[in-house]
Amino acid sequence: MSRAIVFSEVPQLVAELVTTAARVADEVHVVALGQPSAASLDGVASVALLTADAARPESFVAAIAARVAAIDADVVLVGATVTGWEVAARVATVLGVGLVSEATALRRVPGAGWQAERVVYAGGAVQTESWSGLAVVTVTAGFAPAARDVGGAAPVQVVPVEVDARVRVVSRSVRPHEGVDLAHATRVVCVGMGLGSVDDLAIARGLAEALDAEVACTRPVAEDREWLPTERYIGISGVSVRPDLYLGLGVSGQVQHTVGIREAAVVVGINTDPNAPLFGVCDYAVVGDLHEIAPMLTEAIRAVRSGGAVESAAS
Amino acid sequence: MCVKWVASASDLLVDPATRTIDAGRAHRAISEYDRNTVEAARVVAGHVGGDLVGLTFGGPEATPALKEVLARGADRAIHVVAPQGARIDGHVTAHALAAQIGRIGDVGLVLCTEGASDTYAHETGPRVGELLGWPVVTNVRELGVEGTTLHAVRVLGDVLETVECELPAVVTVVPEIGPAPIPGLKALLGAGRKPSEQVPVGDLGLPDHALMPRTTVTSLLGFVAQRKRIRIADGDAREKVAALMSGLAQEGVL
Ligand SMILES: Cc1cc2nc3c(=O)[nH]c(=O)nc-3n(C[C@H](O)[C@H](O)[C@H](O)COP(=O)(O)OP(=O)(O)OC[C@H]3O[C@@H](n4cnc5c(N)ncnc54)[C@H](O)[C@@H]3O)c2cc1C
Repeated sequence: MSRAIVFSEVPQLVAELVTTAARVADEVHVVALGQPSAASLDGVASVALLTADAARPESFVAAIAARVAAIDADVVLVGATVTGWEVAARVATVLGVGLVSEATALRRVPGAGWQAERVVYAGGAVQTESWSGLAVVTVTAGFAPAARDVGGAAPVQVVPVEVDARVRVVSRSVRPHEGVDLAHATRVVCVGMGLGSVDDLAIARGLAEALDAEVACTRPVAEDREWLPTERYIGISGVSVRPDLYLGLGVSGQVQHTVGIREAAVVVGINTDPNAPLFGVCDYAVVGDLHEIAPMLTEAIRAVRSGGAVESAAS
Repeated sequence: MCVKWVASASDLLVDPATRTIDAGRAHRAISEYDRNTVEAARVVAGHVGGDLVGLTFGGPEATPALKEVLARGADRAIHVVAPQGARIDGHVTAHALAAQIGRIGDVGLVLCTEGASDTYAHETGPRVGELLGWPVVTNVRELGVEGTTLHAVRVLGDVLETVECELPAVVTVVPEIGPAPIPGLKALLGAGRKPSEQVPVGDLGLPDHALMPRTTVTSLLGFVAQRKRIRIADGDAREKVAALMSGLAQEGVL
């Protein structure tokens, strides 16, 4: 009888992890904070509801590790959020076991323990890791569909625990957030630092509007310049997209970014540098100034989409 | 602060047929975002009047990391040396770093980057904190120390969380913590005169289980992009746009 323990501070991720866990273990046990709602999910064998006075999820590390030991779990699955990364690494350390961060595949190898795959070198390679015995594995959102709420009634055990209160939260603020769903956008116009100034965002917005596309960006555009909200940046530490068309304006195309556009059907780059790395991983490499090309492209697309024909390149 | 010596992700050579990787010829340096972390650590150390120790763990090939952290502002540097070709995972790395930090003594703050540019596993900082039994504050973009209290702003997706704790503590930072200035000639020359030390990991007195990796890398395959790579570089802007438009029309994405 193999057992998996699932933990995430995000309810949606708990439901997804339950699905992943059920694929690799006979029994799925959930460690929850705050609410026992996982008890009604398909495939859940038990829920341990850890309770303590107003505490951050990171402060439950010792209690989560104790729960893993009590259940005698074979694998621990944690949702790969910033909080989850920390909890996973610390629980693995308390238990003296391995950690596989952001697995893209997870399987049992009959008679030979476990195997997982993960992306390394920011997407440049895929690494297979093997181990036997217990390990902690983090899994990103969207890796598996959420387990259905079947109105089940798995036993819920309320466990009052001691927490580590040494890190105190002083305040929390929410950054501008639009709830955009880039991951499912069918067209994406992505701006990089080649944009030059925040005012030039209008160029990208015009093109996006003509194409019915979402505007996305590279990490420095969001995190350094704060020209767009962070939910709009693509890459290893941002969003992965799978549109029919990705158009990169002034994007150099470092692998940390381009790993997020691998599933795009058609990739176009517009860059002044003929040696931009993006040109090595795109379908159409337009060498030129975005400030000149993009407005013209916008006009051309508007003309076509309002019923005109595509002008021949030879004309 | 801890740094990692890595092969650069952008120039790994991947054989398109077998997808095997030749990382041996890739350029090596300290992990890209470690440069921002060293600078942030230098600023904090300067503010509290402390010494900044650069620390790395890795095989003999990681020795140049010492010079780089010294040039970037560390007062001294320590390389905990793993035997050539030794298998290392996050568990082993954290034990080696934590043991060496314990030996330095009187350490008030350990800074690590939130993830390394090769493995990006987000584990070393929290693991080291757990082993030391110190508070852990991850994903920090603003950092300050007043007396013995650490103040930090963490990035949790769209949420910015301001936290505080007492030192000693382990903090992981994101590159937005600050810039990574390129060291000038004077700093490079000065680096050679600062103290640095190499400590064989066997000298740390760690039990066998601490140096026994928990996971093993059993395969590493490169990624090969299947793209058309059609170059549109000739003519004026209008001609380029026309060429792109006919390509996009053919793709059926207009
Ligand atoms: C651990 C780690 C994680 C990371 N995660 C991410 C991530 O998730 N997402 C991400 O995007 N990045 C990420 N990065 C950063 C990444 O390595 C690159 O630094 C970043 O993607 C570069 O952004 P950029 O292309 O906008 O800027 P730059 O690299 O500065 O490129 C700007 C480009 O614009 C071009 N240009 C300039 N002017 C013009 C013009 N007028 N017209 C056309 N082109 C012009 C230039 O030739 C250049 O190629 C990560 C890095 C690390 C180390």
